[in-house]
Amino acid sequence: MPPLERSQRPPPPGKPFKQRKSFATRKQEVAGIRSKFPNKIPVIIERYEREKFLPPLDKTKFLVPHELTMNQFVTIIRNRMALLPSQAFYLLVNNSGLASMTLSMAQVYGDHQDDDGFLYMTYASQEMFGQL
Amino acid sequence: MDAATLTYDTLRFGEFEDFPETSDPVWILGREYNALTEKDDILSDVTSRLWFTYRKNFPPIGGTGPTSDTGWGCMLRCGQMILGEALTCRHLGRDWRWSSGHKQREEYVSILNAFIDKKDSYYSIHQIAQMGVGEGKPIGQWYGPNTVAQVLKKLAAFDTWSRLVVHVAMDNTVVIEEIKRLCMPWLDAAGLGACGDLAAAAPGELNGCAEGACALPGDDVELWRPLVLLIPLRLGLSDINDAYIQTLKQCFMLPQSLGVIGGKPNSAHYFIGYVGEELIYLDPHTTQPAVDPCDDGHVPDETYHCQHPPCRMHICELDPSIAAGFFCRTEDDFDDWCMRIRRLSCHRGGLPMFELVDSQPSHMVSVDALNLTPGKTLSQQVSCHI
Repeated sequence: MPPLERSQRPPPPGKPFKQRKSFATRKQEVAGIRSKFPNKIPVIIERYEREKFLPPLDKTKFLVPHELTMNQFVTIIRNRMALLPSQAFYLLVNNSGLASMTLSMAQVYGDHQDDDGFLYMTYASQEMFGQL
Repeated sequence: MDAATLTYDTLRFGEFEDFPETSDPVWILGREYNALTEKDDILSDVTSRLWFTYRKNFPPIGGTGPTSDTGWGCMLRCGQMILGEALTCRHLGRDWRWSSGHKQREEYVSILNAFIDKKDSYYSIHQIAQMGVGEGKPIGQWYGPNTVAQVLKKLAAFDTWSRLVVHVAMDNTVVIEEIKRLCMPWLDAAGLGACGDLAAAAPGELNGCAEGACALPGDDVELWRPLVLLIPLRLGLSDINDAYIQTLKQCFMLPQSLGVIGGKPNSAHYFIGYVGEELIYLDPHTTQPAVDPCDDGHVPDETYHCQHPPCRMHICELDPSIAAGFFCRTEDDFDDWCMRIRRLSCHRGGLPMFELVDSQPSHMVSVDALNLTPGKTLSQQVSCHI
């Protein structure tokens, strides 16, 4: 296995995970994770590149139990970011749609996993409107 | 008609292009029209909606602040429009129509007064901008749909005349039980209903404390406080996901529709309906002079109604950040809305924009339980460095 990177800082905002690593590397990583943690789902969570309000997460990769619901997962992420309940927070699966909050992570994974074996999600709040 | 004439017309009237001659149905806030035979009815319906725009020369916000909202107030104005529509439904009914130059009903004057640009109107630009400070938005900052929804929820608590429950459904989930508890606070007070235990366990988790704090009305006929349901959403990252377009259209077809606040990138609009692939909207981006109410309480109201054909834009231009609104005057209206939403999600015409659930999942009620675990479970779950 590649050596651990023990950086205290959040990952640099630059390139998304998929562009930092080759498909083969990512696939290999998933195989490693899945053999070690067969009942966990490998999820990549990244901040929308134009997000201005939500803080960056200190981690990109999450290993999530199959039976966790989307709702529980969102609550965990919201708590990690110390968001108020009234703050807008959306997790978009594959950069496109909002997953139903009652689905389990296993169901979301079954429907939306990438060819490399990761489940990709992007978080964002809402845009603001005004003109100069 | 030759090309030159067309160009001339477009240049002169382009902004207020006439309504299209089409056999496609026109939907305006839950009402269906035929553009070929009912054009006057369409325009009368649109004109009857309250139209709030940028204004200039109003009393300074907070005493020393801005006297105009040009450039920053468009989403605040859209918030006023969607709430104005709710108040219209609440006090005048969806079928009420405005006509220019007529003496208006007393309720109408009261509604308009709630939005006049001065500090003590319930929902003035002054109140919205100042309440936004608590949402992390200094006066003059741009708002998103959720920001203005949260502010309206707080302001509505002071409007003892309308006695609305403004509920903002977060995380693209509408919880029926939560709404019933808010609209029928006497259920909890009397210890009745299936949700009594939950309420006792998590009283602070209600939709703001103001609703819960209201005393029971003097007359006991009020069984349901009229509901304004606002659902802030993000239907894509940079562009709206096509799979939501059909569902979005269906929002305007529900009889409970209050329309949608959102916009094109940077410009907020109040969307009131659609025709074909175009959204129909009221645009706040016109700066008008602030209106001074006369001493007798009369408000010159001509500039609060859009008297030209409404603007239209292709639905794909919609910025993905929106909030959809619905008004349920009675419990039956709300039950009917739930039934229609469920029916829509069975027909797989598109992706549902939000989810309707009966009750709060247990972990959402007991946030404390989660707070104990994340460190542990997450450190187990999040073995990130592989």
